[in-house]
Amino acid sequence: MTAIETWWHVVFTFLKLSLFSIGGGNTLLQAYHHEAVETFGWLTNRQFSDLYGLAEAAPGPSSMFVGLLGLGAGWKHGPAWALITGYSAELAILLPSTVVMLIASVYWNRWRDSPWRMAFERGLGPVTLGILFSVSVTILRTANHSLIAYGLSFMVCFFVLKTKISPLVFIGICGLAGVLGFVR
Amino acid sequence: MSDTSDTGLQLEQTANPGLRELFVCMMQVAFSAFGGGMSLWSHRIIVERRHWMTSESFVTGLTVARLFPGPNQINMSVYIGSIFKGVPGSLAAIAGIILFPFTLLMVLGLIYFQISAISEVNRLLAGLAAAAAGMALSMGFKILDVYKTDYLALAIAVIVFVCLQGFKFPLIPVVLISGAISMSLYWPRGQRR
Repeated sequence: MTAIETWWHVVFTFLKLSLFSIGGGNTLLQAYHHEAVETFGWLTNRQFSDLYGLAEAAPGPSSMFVGLLGLGAGWKHGPAWALITGYSAELAILLPSTVVMLIASVYWNRWRDSPWRMAFERGLGPVTLGILFSVSVTILRTANHSLIAYGLSFMVCFFVLKTKISPLVFIGICGLAGVLGFVR
Repeated sequence: MSDTSDTGLQLEQTANPGLRELFVCMMQVAFSAFGGGMSLWSHRIIVERRHWMTSESFVTGLTVARLFPGPNQINMSVYIGSIFKGVPGSLAAIAGIILFPFTLLMVLGLIYFQISAISEVNRLLAGLAAAAAGMALSMGFKILDVYKTDYLALAIAVIVFVCLQGFKFPLIPVVLISGAISMSLYWPRGQRR
């Protein structure tokens, strides 16, 4: 497969998915995994979860993960193509949703009394909830290959919900546990 | 660009940040918030420190940002940018929140593909991925809390979950169909307009 073909697959895939990332970026992780690992084979399962950890730990919105998927897809054509594909992937995932959001932020308050707006506000939440749990299961399975890893994930989840400790602390602890060889 | 004073947004402050300020402020948000909790940080910086918006208008923005497709924080910067400077403001805000963090991430990504043979790096990332998985799971529980007495919402959520995890249906048709059904079930009654 040529570099251009890979680039096009990446751009098309993320343009297509953009408008379905409801409730925040995480809802698409399952779809990303399906496309990047199963359909196109841009990345191995292990690379996918490594890069996900990297995107979560690095500063900035975690949705930048898409750029890393693009980078991985382009990597076999060299670092230059990897970068081009990476930036393009991020542009592709953001462009459609940003255009919609731009229109929405201008008009949202004018639609205050529209039943469409009310149904949209209330109706989409439960769908998002279902997607989020489904995505969480996929992430847990992708990221974790041992009981200890599952244990760490559940502990992080518990402490994030029940305490005000910065997530950075848990990232640090889990990273350390990883380096010391406890996670896999 | 279009005058934004007619959008009905009530800003009590007379803040009027320029494009450069929008860019710099969103970049500050992005770099303050690594490891998650970005909406917390943007509230702290935009509302508490710079007094650009009231807390109420910030929360309205966050709601719209969550409802519409796209990453929450990107959508939130679109919203904030458009309030002050229309479309150019949105673009400046997005650029601020993503340009440098993304470039840094690309560099880290290149390093990863270059040296992923080193086992310490792999082990570190395995640990980070476990933490990230835990945080993803916590998002679901946070939203679950909102719906714990709404049985219709819980039923819809369970059906969506089973369609995706149990039957492995693809996301796009699941969102389109369940979204339409859910919207019709939550259609406001007796409030025709």
